[in-house]
Amino acid sequence: MFRNYIKTAFRSLKKNKGFTLINVLGLALGLAICLLIVFYVIDEMSYDRYNLNADRIYRVNNDIKFGGSENSYAVAPAPMAAALQAEFPEVEKAVRFRQNGSFRVKKGNQDIQEHHFIYADPDVFSVFTFPMLSGDPNTALKDPKAVVITERMANKYFNSTNVVGKTLLLDDTVNFKITGVIKDIPKQSHINADFFISMITLAESKEPSWLNNNFQTYILLKPGSDVKVLESKFPKMVKEHVDPQLQNVIHMSYDDFTKTGSYFKLSTIALKRIHLESNMQAELGPNGNIRYVYIFLAIALFILLIACVNFMNLSTARSANRAREVGVRKVLGSARKHLIAQFLAESIMVTMVSTIIALIIAWGLLPIFNQMAGKELSISMQSLVWLVPAVIAIILVIGCLAGSYPAFFLSGFQPIEVLKGKLAAGFKGGFLRSFLVVFQFSISIFLIIGTLVIYNQLKYIQNKDLGYNRSHILVVKNLYALGNQAKTFKDEIKQMPEVANATLTGYTPTMDYRNSNSLFQTATLDVKNALNTQMWYVDEDYVNTLDIKMIKGRNFSKQMLTDSLAMIINESAAKKLGLADPLDKTLYMPLDQQAKHVKGYHIIGIMKDFNFNTLRENVSSLTMVLGEERGALSIRVKSADMPAFVSRVEKQWKSINPNQQFEYSFMDEDFDATYRTEQRMGKIFVSFTSLAIIIACLGLFGLAAYAAEQRTKEIGIRKVLGAGVSSIVAMLSLDFIKLVLISIVIAAPLAWFAMHQWLQGYAYRQNIQWWVIALAGVGAIVIAFVTISFQSIKAALINPVKSLRSE
Amino acid sequence: MLSLKNISKYYQAGGNKISVLNNVNLDVDAGEFVSIMGPSGSGKSTLLNIIGMLDEPSEGYHYFMNEAVHQLKEKSRSALYKEYIGFVFQAYHLIDELTVYENIETPLIYQNIKSAERKALVADMLDRFQIVGKKDLFPAQLSGGQQQLVGIARALITKPRLILADEPTGNLNSKQGEEIMELFRKLNKEDKVTIIQVTHSEKNAEYGSRIIDVLDGKIDSSRNL
Ligand SMILES: Nc1ncnc2c1ncn2[C@@H]1O[C@H](COP(=O)(O)OP(=O)(O)O)[C@@H](O)[C@H]1O
Ligand SMILES: [Mg+2]
Repeated sequence: MFRNYIKTAFRSLKKNKGFTLINVLGLALGLAICLLIVFYVIDEMSYDRYNLNADRIYRVNNDIKFGGSENSYAVAPAPMAAALQAEFPEVEKAVRFRQNGSFRVKKGNQDIQEHHFIYADPDVFSVFTFPMLSGDPNTALKDPKAVVITERMANKYFNSTNVVGKTLLLDDTVNFKITGVIKDIPKQSHINADFFISMITLAESKEPSWLNNNFQTYILLKPGSDVKVLESKFPKMVKEHVDPQLQNVIHMSYDDFTKTGSYFKLSTIALKRIHLESNMQAELGPNGNIRYVYIFLAIALFILLIACVNFMNLSTARSANRAREVGVRKVLGSARKHLIAQFLAESIMVTMVSTIIALIIAWGLLPIFNQMAGKELSISMQSLVWLVPAVIAIILVIGCLAGSYPAFFLSGFQPIEVLKGKLAAGFKGGFLRSFLVVFQFSISIFLIIGTLVIYNQLKYIQNKDLGYNRSHILVVKNLYALGNQAKTFKDEIKQMPEVANATLTGYTPTMDYRNSNSLFQTATLDVKNALNTQMWYVDEDYVNTLDIKMIKGRNFSKQMLTDSLAMIINESAAKKLGLADPLDKTLYMPLDQQAKHVKGYHIIGIMKDFNFNTLRENVSSLTMVLGEERGALSIRVKSADMPAFVSRVEKQWKSINPNQQFEYSFMDEDFDATYRTEQRMGKIFVSFTSLAIIIACLGLFGLAAYAAEQRTKEIGIRKVLGAGVSSIVAMLSLDFIKLVLISIVIAAPLAWFAMHQWLQGYAYRQNIQWWVIALAGVGAIVIAFVTISFQSIKAALINPVKSLRSE
Repeated sequence: MLSLKNISKYYQAGGNKISVLNNVNLDVDAGEFVSIMGPSGSGKSTLLNIIGMLDEPSEGYHYFMNEAVHQLKEKSRSALYKEYIGFVFQAYHLIDELTVYENIETPLIYQNIKSAERKALVADMLDRFQIVGKKDLFPAQLSGGQQQLVGIARALITKPRLILADEPTGNLNSKQGEEIMELFRKLNKEDKVTIIQVTHSEKNAEYGSRIIDVLDGKIDSSRNL
């Protein structure tokens, strides 16, 4: 019986090659995109799961509210790890990490800048699963100036992994002893390091302060212990340790401190959730975002639905031509369930072929997708473990789903009705088919609007006046490498004819140097009117180099020696201070733990707010004081020939220190990099939307072809009666255009609402404009019309004699 | 074998009730070869479909093989039908996607007959109709007469006791029609298959043992030959 079904199915599919092709290709394309997205989502969800103890590892976070601003930090005080281990029996181990910049590593007589350094406590290798190839994981990081490196780095610097006992010269000054080589850390890890330096090397790690937060702290719980119970004991620990230190620094008890609304709150986050759910200050690196995972999944589902709807629609349309077969089979004694089984089998067969093609397409598109999504996904043996069952499930589910309508619909025919040829007529305006077309086009229009809104917002970000000018700025990085010569380098660069200005500091809008501080309006450090603010160390050229406008007062000046105690604040800080005129007021900053010494800065100028953070956030308080910070030299360039200029700057650099790597970037490119996720999402959105529309159009194309075929005789008669081509095209297109119009009415408000929500993530945004909706609507109609008219015109041009002869 | 008592059939057409069959009474005994004649639209096909249980009468009693068909449930009715009745159509109604062989085989599949037995039965039938050479051809590759032969072979494969044929020769030329009629006569005489056919040709009707004339939904006359 089954063979009989397959045979009929196969031959019938072969007979309708065009339909079959559209059907199979549409579904395959949809499935391929879904597969790619599933790959992506699985990759995102598999972060940190390589750790054997993943279920028992938590990071301790610190929520701090102080001076009116609150922040969540992925870091905790230095002494906390030891306290956790000492005070709570359920904590088996606690490990701290500290990121502290990059180092130059000596290879031969060359210095290579390496970025993935991390300080770690000795227990790191017993908490996390970083298998050690050589060296002793228990003692590797016990001694100062010990470093454990990855296989990759061992090969890079020594061409061998057997390097335990050798030394690495860092920053041309300190020799580190290699005490272990670990396997490269998997890509799916939020901890991303190539060099683990022993924590004890860092003096700061031994400081007892509970008021500074600089250490990412992870705990390994004993099996069976409850993290919630542990968390409930945190407040007491915090109070015990913070109280005496607070009394020392601001002469206030912890209780009084909390009464002012301030707090330190420790909490935990499970290791496996960090990548997708944590986005705090001082993360170990940029994490993923669960929202994008959801958006991707939604898109995958949309595309899958469109493809399935197509499949159903085309199968149903085609099945009208098979009504006679159903009638004959019924007369020959087929029970209804046999017919249902037959159509389901056929549908499953087509789905199977589509799925196989989809796998091939997905495999082919993977490199392009990787590039777009910034991933390194691949189909490995591991992925087969879920891929094979998933593919079988897809085939069965989609096959049954898509086949169910024709199966139940057709098998319900009355045989004599069918054999009399009554069915074809009644089948024309199937409600379900119209509904499905509307559904498809609603999704397509939704995606078009989404794409336009994202595109608009990106353009808005590109063009928004940020309060500073980022174009024509060359950023030379890491002038620490030049030591005391940094200032000389700056002066030399400023002498160059192409240079308009230059400023020496790492604190720029596009670099990640940040320094938050609490300033007080009274020398007694009264918490009540504290200002929690960014405090940046800059030079007197900063304001002019970045084209920042001053509203009141003046910029720093070389001539005024007193400017070493001067401060410029931005509008937001001025507003926060709440003073009628902040000019010439003084702000105080404690200089030591005990706050025995304070330093007062008097405000000499107020600058216009500029967006030093991303446009997702509002501009917050910023204060600037003079100080030599060598993180970068930002150079405003007059000349247009950038490459020539860059090489001249490099020459200058090499003349000061030939061994140091010269690193540079352009401020506008760095700025764009900040929005890479959005750019990426934008690109992916555009591609997926196009694909969704292509799939929907394939379906429409098939349906139009079918409708034209159904009405061949009618068209022939009309032509004989004198109808022109255009009136016939209009007649055939109108039915579908109506459906597209309905789709617009449904999709536009939904899309508006969804994208409005998305835009709320931006403090600065381009609200949705009416033309976006109009463009999407008109676009959909045009696309649909072009698709349909191809078939309509073909049908309208057929010689009527041909279509009527068969009758 | 079958008996229709006061059978009527109406259609609702825009508020009007159209009567297609009007109080028809008909008895057919096993072994008969009945030809139904009448003008187009007089209700012949409707009558045949009701006999074949493809259609239900609006009123009346229908007995077949001593069963009261009008009281049977859909399921037992189709079981009855599957066992005893074979249909032959004017438009042949072969399945285009199946070969001659597979078309003939299909009813057996629905009767859950084993593959080996099916093979033997179909081979017999192909032999008997002398179409062994055509068994792998598709319907579109056959002439009308050949297609109707296949249609009859398919109707006979389940060894029905009653063959219902609605204008089986309507699309054929007279020579092909004659061959089909000879075949019917042979089936009726040698295999004792009861046959009811609808035909427009007086000559073909005379192959039967009785001619029934239908006029305006009524049996106008019945002549034994
Ligand atoms: N589904 C239907 N609805 C309305 N009238 C019908 C239907 N089917 C058949 N008829 C009418 O019933 C009458 C008899 O049809 P039919 O039995 O096919 O005639 P014959 O086979 O004798 O030519 C015709 O007038 C036809 O129009
Ligand atoms: Mg008829």
